[in-house]
Amino acid sequence: MKKLLLIPALALTVFLFLQATSKEAIETTIIAVEFDNEIPAHVKAVIDQKCYGCHNAESKNEKGKKKLDWDDFESSRRAKQLATMAKINETLIEGEMPPAKFLESKPEGKLSPEELQTLLDWSAGKKRAPKQ
Amino acid sequence: MKWGTYLLGLLVLLFLGLQLAPNELPEVHIYNSGDLIQSGLVNEDVAALLKTACYDCHSNETKYPWYAKVAPSSWLVAKDVREGREALNFSRWEELDLMQQLGKLDDVAIEVDEGRMPMDIYVKMHREAKLTDAQRELIVAWAEDTMDRLVEDSEAYEEEQD
Repeated sequence: MKKLLLIPALALTVFLFLQATSKEAIETTIIAVEFDNEIPAHVKAVIDQKCYGCHNAESKNEKGKKKLDWDDFESSRRAKQLATMAKINETLIEGEMPPAKFLESKPEGKLSPEELQTLLDWSAGKKRAPKQ
Repeated sequence: MKWGTYLLGLLVLLFLGLQLAPNELPEVHIYNSGDLIQSGLVNEDVAALLKTACYDCHSNETKYPWYAKVAPSSWLVAKDVREGREALNFSRWEELDLMQQLGKLDDVAIEVDEGRMPMDIYVKMHREAKLTDAQRELIVAWAEDTMDRLVEDSEAYEEEQD
């Protein structure tokens, strides 16, 4: 009998504790974890094939590594990721990556129109909330 | 002696000739409706630092020194201000979309943290623009906090829409 009472008491305690956390905070966390921090698989496939070679933590290409390190990307905070995406978007629109010099010796490294579009769509990121 | 006089005369002529070469200093506008500092994203301390260390090249509020009116130094000043505004113009902050603003703030944090900005040549002529380590940290922290703030605001807005 005593044990049976323990369960509702425990449930009640947990329930009371949950009230202390604001709903807003919970929602924000869930969104950030579930949807935002991971690169979609089809985007990642392009990155792995066409970008990662120079832009990784062990890269011998110091400049490439310093400008963008994919190994660092997913562990970065959200704002940093979006900032990086904005710069990727600009670089791609300007046609600066992969570098022309690199493509001279490795023409197969060029982004196909579909691959370029995939990266552009992804790196376009999010829109600003209109001013209230 | 005679040669020396000729040479000096030639140099003076050359200098005067240089003044005739066209050189356009980017225009100055003091009131800019899209200005960063007016947008409310900057506290007073950081605003003061940005004004003294960045705004000569990265805004429309350039305060040209006397040597900006004399060739050949005027060419360098014109080029630096033109390129500075092109890369980042705080007077036109509100024209950037959220993603661009985040990218620029990230660049501010990186450039200031690594000591590449303000440029050495600028600081040599503007001692007041020399940043102490503490001032650098203040700007970097402001830039990073503002990035987070902009993202939080937009995410809060997105949730309201759902």
